[in-house]
Amino acid sequence: MSALLELDRVSKNFSRGGLFSTQRVEAVKEVSFALQTDKPEIFTVIGESGSGKSTLARMVLGIHAPSSGSIRLAGRDVAAYERQAFMAEVQPIFQNPFEAFNPLKQLDRYLFMTAERFGGASGKAAAQGQADEALRQVGLSLAEIAGRFPHELSGGQLQRVAIARALVAKPRLIVADEPVSMVDASLRMSIVNLFGRLRNDLGLSIIYITHDLATAYYISDRLIIMRKGVVVEEGPARAVLSAPMHPYSRQLRDAVLTPDSAGAFRAGHSLKAVAEPGASS
Amino acid sequence: MLTILRDLLRYNIEFRIGLVLVSIVLVMAALSLVAPYPPGDVYLVPPDLPPSSAHWLGTTSRGQDVFWQLTFAIRNTLSFGIMVALLSRVIALVVGLLAGYSGGWIDRVLMSINDTFIIIPLFPILILFYFVLRDTMSTPLLATIMACLGWAYDARLIRSVALSLKTREFTQTSIFSGMKTHEILAREHLPYVMPIVFSTTMNNMNWSIGIEVTLAVLGFTDINTPTIGGMIYWANQHTALVAGIWWWIAFPVGLVVMTFVGLFLLAVSMNEYIDPRSRLARMGGSR
Amino acid sequence: MSGAADQAPVLEVDGLQAHFRTRYFGVNREVRAVDGVSFTVRRNEIYGLAGESSSGKTTLVKTIAGLLKPPLEMVGGSARFSFLPEWDAVGRAPPEVVRGIRWRHLSYIMQGSMNVLNPLRRIRYSFRDFAWRHLGGSKSEFDARAEAHLERVKLDPSVLDAYPHELSGGMRQRVTIALATICKPEFIIADEPTTALDVIVQKDVLAMLRSIQREMGSSVLFITHDMGVHAALTDRLGIMYAGRLVEDGETAEIFAQPLHPYTRHLIASLPRIGDTEQREGLEGTPPNLAEPPPGCRFHPRCPLAMPICATTVPAMVATMPGHRVACHAVNPGMAA
Repeated sequence: MSALLELDRVSKNFSRGGLFSTQRVEAVKEVSFALQTDKPEIFTVIGESGSGKSTLARMVLGIHAPSSGSIRLAGRDVAAYERQAFMAEVQPIFQNPFEAFNPLKQLDRYLFMTAERFGGASGKAAAQGQADEALRQVGLSLAEIAGRFPHELSGGQLQRVAIARALVAKPRLIVADEPVSMVDASLRMSIVNLFGRLRNDLGLSIIYITHDLATAYYISDRLIIMRKGVVVEEGPARAVLSAPMHPYSRQLRDAVLTPDSAGAFRAGHSLKAVAEPGASS
Repeated sequence: MLTILRDLLRYNIEFRIGLVLVSIVLVMAALSLVAPYPPGDVYLVPPDLPPSSAHWLGTTSRGQDVFWQLTFAIRNTLSFGIMVALLSRVIALVVGLLAGYSGGWIDRVLMSINDTFIIIPLFPILILFYFVLRDTMSTPLLATIMACLGWAYDARLIRSVALSLKTREFTQTSIFSGMKTHEILAREHLPYVMPIVFSTTMNNMNWSIGIEVTLAVLGFTDINTPTIGGMIYWANQHTALVAGIWWWIAFPVGLVVMTFVGLFLLAVSMNEYIDPRSRLARMGGSR
Repeated sequence: MSGAADQAPVLEVDGLQAHFRTRYFGVNREVRAVDGVSFTVRRNEIYGLAGESSSGKTTLVKTIAGLLKPPLEMVGGSARFSFLPEWDAVGRAPPEVVRGIRWRHLSYIMQGSMNVLNPLRRIRYSFRDFAWRHLGGSKSEFDARAEAHLERVKLDPSVLDAYPHELSGGMRQRVTIALATICKPEFIIADEPTTALDVIVQKDVLAMLRSIQREMGSSVLFITHDMGVHAALTDRLGIMYAGRLVEDGETAEIFAQPLHPYTRHLIASLPRIGDTEQREGLEGTPPNLAEPPPGCRFHPRCPLAMPICATTVPAMVATMPGHRVACHAVNPGMAA
């Protein structure tokens, strides 16, 4: 069983400050996990702001290099890959669908470019064919998207176009950084369900980064919970979220408000002291 | 493009006025092609005549028709300004985009060079060049020198736009779509930078024409090629104002002021149209 | 459930319409962001407004608060506050009158409020800038009141000497809420106050808001797209879609028995921990408010759409006491 992605005690430090005073911020501390090649899964990273989850995502994408530890894709260190070859295997999806594409340019350009550079398309017709195929997998079609600008579509549609663009490159791993947090609630589940379909039908592994425990419970296979750069709990998604063991995980879980939380703040309802000393508020 | 021009004409008074002014100037420059007198010759017509129907703007003390001389002068001055503006835009764009996008040591090196050029005192250097090059100093050479001195401010502006663009997510999308650096700069970032380039072009033209006029008045350029500054120089040499030949100074000055104001109005109105935020601000509030 | 709430409304909104009118460079566009909304907010209750992006909820509260700047214009209807009976909308009252009610009777916590504090001055001075003229008294008297207020809302008074950047986002938001409530206004509008906050911090901030509201007996108009927050916090709830109110009633009632197809979808589509039932997203996208669909604006995406939905706007009818819905499938034969 070979590993698709292996993180081995990965850490990332940033130094902030000027000439006379520098502060070291440890964004990520000794994170390790592995995804297997023959078992496609949705691996979730749960964390609040400042937990280091986005820094972790960027390291997996090769945008930042780890300060220590190693990240290996299919056995080879990420830094050793030639950039184009790496991007053919790993593609991102970002949080803000309205920022994912240049507002002044048409959307299909990105799809065609990805097809030509990564999909092996050799000409306009081939690129259009690949783009159309990818768009159909996300529930759209090239006829609907051709010639359109980002402002003509909704957040949900734009995010799906972003997923389609990533699919054109035929990657083995997709890193999705908060992909549905800026998508309207009524459109959110279509995208979350889409991730499930990509895993089941295409054998894609997805690293799903989110702060939303409910969608994490719904779609993930395994997950880790990060706090201030450290992994505080990990394991099978349903098990961890149904019965969290670490105090921070419990705190997180108790703070989640769902339609079933009716009356959580009403008179007579006891509010557990939520903030622990030294918490990030 | 045409709809933009049509809308600007219809709704924006600054654009209309600017367009009228610049059109007058351009027409004057174009008329130089049909001028009856060659530009370099002197004593072709009776000197010191005030404006009349035979000589619309009068004649100079050197026996030249002011009107036709002016057509050559404005043509040369304008083309000088355009040359400088274009050259310096190219340099500013390349330096600004590259420095902003690359970061790291490329950015530091380029910005150090940039800052050096900003603090170079302009006039002493130009005068130095004049004294060194003297006879070989021609208009194209002066234009090149000024272009090399006039890109620095705007390169910094462009760089700051490039810096902010780098952090936007669509830059990452472009990278992961397989675009190379030069493609990203030219195709993704350039459209954002164009409003700055456009308005700074006009400013740059005004600046370079102003310097050229100043240098010419002082006699530091090729005074045999007629330019606005050149005309004023000769007028001063012949103490025109004292002698009462006011038309020799007034009309060149008037025409160059018209050029400045026209270019400025065009820049301001077109920039306002291109930039969506100023559009909303004009309507009295944004959402 | 709402026994503590008086029946007299603090805010009465009737047929409110607010459009964005753009006339520039030959472009004539009218975006009908709020198109005929009517509801009431009673004393001593938290009324939630739910809806997604482009539902019009932020535009609605801006209109109610009188924060109208071109191109946003109020084109019809009224939004009458009990403390301003002579004017049928804050936007129609003269500036001196509006100044008199701000902070004293009506306060507005905007989106991104934590950034409303002047970053160059200590919190104490922001408090003075905003609230001193309404409370009067000398500087030291005002400072004492400010400190007492902060203690009452369980904030450490030493926060007054800090700069905004020294506090976390959650702390800043709590300070903003304290600032908005120091004059004990009767009506507080809170527009997505916890959206940018972490889940754990959000719970604290919401608890603080609830306890302030209860203590002062004020009314709160709380806007968020997060249905979980509505369920936990609000007494009554209004659901907006594409500039119109589609359902309105007691929160518990709406969650127990949602009537409008859109509300039902919103509630049903959210996954919950402990539950692996398949959830679905809604087809289609919210309509373009410059050219909204005729009749019921939800009909292109509605699973229960009938021919009448495309032609006639459904009226907001009380299907059950206190529970109104605007839907032809639920209330057949009721046109607006």
